Amino acid sequence: MKKALFLGAVLAVTPLAAQAADTSTPLRFVLIPKVVHPWFDKLNTGARAAADMITKTTGQKIEIEYRAPQTADVSSQNDIIERAIATHPDGLILDLLDEKGNRATMDEAIEQKIPMTVFDSLPPEGMNITAVGADFCEQGTIAAERLATLIGKKGEVAIMMGVPTAPNHTLRAECEKKVFAKYPDIKVVATGIDNDSIETGQKQASAIMQAHPNLVGWVACDASGPVGIGQAIRESGKAGKVQEVGLDNLNDMLQLIRDGVAESTASSRPEMQGYWAVVSAWQSAMGQKTPKYIDTGIDVITKKNL
Amino acid sequence: MSLETTLPGATPTPPKVSSIRALIARMVANPLGGVIGAMILIFGISCLLSPHFLTSFNMIIIARALAFIGLVTIGQAVLMILGELDLSVGAIGGLAGVVGGMLMVQVGLNPWLSLALCLLMGAGCGLLNGLLITQLRLHSLVLTIGMAGVYGGANLVATRGVAITGVPHEISFLGRGLVLGVPVPFLVLLVCLTVVAFVMMRTPVGRYIYAIGSNPQAARMLGIRVNAIRMGAFALAGFLSALAGILMVARLGTAQPSIGDTWVLSPIAAAVIGGVATTGGLGSPVGAVLGAVIIGIIEDIIVLFGISPYWQSVVSGGIVVLAISLDSLARHYLNRDAS
Repeated sequence: MKKALFLGAVLAVTPLAAQAADTSTPLRFVLIPKVVHPWFDKLNTGARAAADMITKTTGQKIEIEYRAPQTADVSSQNDIIERAIATHPDGLILDLLDEKGNRATMDEAIEQKIPMTVFDSLPPEGMNITAVGADFCEQGTIAAERLATLIGKKGEVAIMMGVPTAPNHTLRAECEKKVFAKYPDIKVVATGIDNDSIETGQKQASAIMQAHPNLVGWVACDASGPVGIGQAIRESGKAGKVQEVGLDNLNDMLQLIRDGVAESTASSRPEMQGYWAVVSAWQSAMGQKTPKYIDTGIDVITKKNL
Repeated sequence: MSLETTLPGATPTPPKVSSIRALIARMVANPLGGVIGAMILIFGISCLLSPHFLTSFNMIIIARALAFIGLVTIGQAVLMILGELDLSVGAIGGLAGVVGGMLMVQVGLNPWLSLALCLLMGAGCGLLNGLLITQLRLHSLVLTIGMAGVYGGANLVATRGVAITGVPHEISFLGRGLVLGVPVPFLVLLVCLTVVAFVMMRTPVGRYIYAIGSNPQAARMLGIRVNAIRMGAFALAGFLSALAGILMVARLGTAQPSIGDTWVLSPIAAAVIGGVATTGGLGSPVGAVLGAVIIGIIEDIIVLFGISPYWQSVVSGGIVVLAISLDSLARHYLNRDAS
């Protein structure tokens, strides 16, 4: 509903904005994710689709510059944001690693009067910036509830934490633990750390399954971990015996669902987040007010709706 | 190799060659000539290719980013001249940052006292590395890989991976402030570099470090207290890493557990670009920091030019290899000409 209202508002102001703007000069938006990662590539695809849509609809050319940090480190991300500010773009589209750690750099963007939109994260307190994304806790809760149902609300389960320093990964893990705590017959026997790496996830999952032969289910907290878990389940020949509900929609994850190794995945919609982040950034650049939050929702992907 | 020829100020007589080649020869003969030449070249190309490069805002960004990595580079360069290496410097920086955050926020200690304690802790961590290496006769590379795990693990145990927020504003100028348009962390770097460069070039301790790096056995026979100097150098590296960690906390306004994660390989690369030999006995901290400047400019232009993130490592790595190769080729060419 919120999205429908926002889209209506966008379409209503678009002709006016298009008339007011000089469409011969491209608008340049710099998109800075947390780190180089296939999830953000999908988001970048959505961002470019939005740019194409705006160009086709209004004639306004939009350039998307994708600048990803090599490591998920706040200071590295701040360096990239600052360097992007130095080029005076028409907007910054950011996935904040830590809103408090990013704050000083974002203040510099405000000083330079560069509009910002954040996605997959929330802006620092007191900053009036549009956030595009899904509820991390809801995503973890959906995955954990689905696993609980699959295993008949009893048995030993494990949680694959993502990067211990990533707030969204930690939040998903906390919400998953809360779900399992509701069911007295479900016991969380192990938590692994995959550091958002498929290889690490696979190693950790294999070791945990060796140590806990009665394990019946897995949930994860990032996009790479569940792929590693699926590979470990397949290698150990436990597909069907150990259930997995994954997270997000990397191609490897979808293949695991097709192959029957994972039952489903609770996926945020990266393409949609990229798309609406660009729409919001474009509206900000045109001087329009934008909503505080655009919820892009969560898909539950199973073999049936792949 | 004689001690004199290894010192940064001691330049060998340049070979007699034609005028343009003489200029190159003089540059190459100077221990810092190669890195200064490469830096000027990369700086000039960047100015020509990007209108955003030579702006005061961008220069401030480069200077501030350089400060953190530069401090770690100074310590690592001294160790490399000594023939040692410390791969735990990043972890020490991160641990010092979060301990500082905890002392200030959770314990409620005076911020300045907290900073002093963190610097002491950093020096202590470095000293512990040095102690274990010298007393147990361990290879510094192997030992510090293990210690990086210990310090990094302690960081995660203390923070559970969650950043410590609410760092007092009193210290924020250390990371964010400007003095006459120059970032405060950069000024801190300049002060530290001046002191360390002075010690290395003008004091007996500096000469001992070069002597140990060139030939530790000979240095020991000359009566130099090799182990004490090695431990002191490790303590210095720990101290400078902790300083970088604390400045980063002041910059971010939070104590991030991930501080220092990227401070392991870049300082080594910077030192090598700046002419510090991995085998010890050659180079200077000034050259190493100039190497860090080159890396900083490359990282800056990669973003300014909008190079794809998937190509960034290829481009930055390629430029570094090119810079080192050109320097090496020029030296080889002139040496052949002179002989």
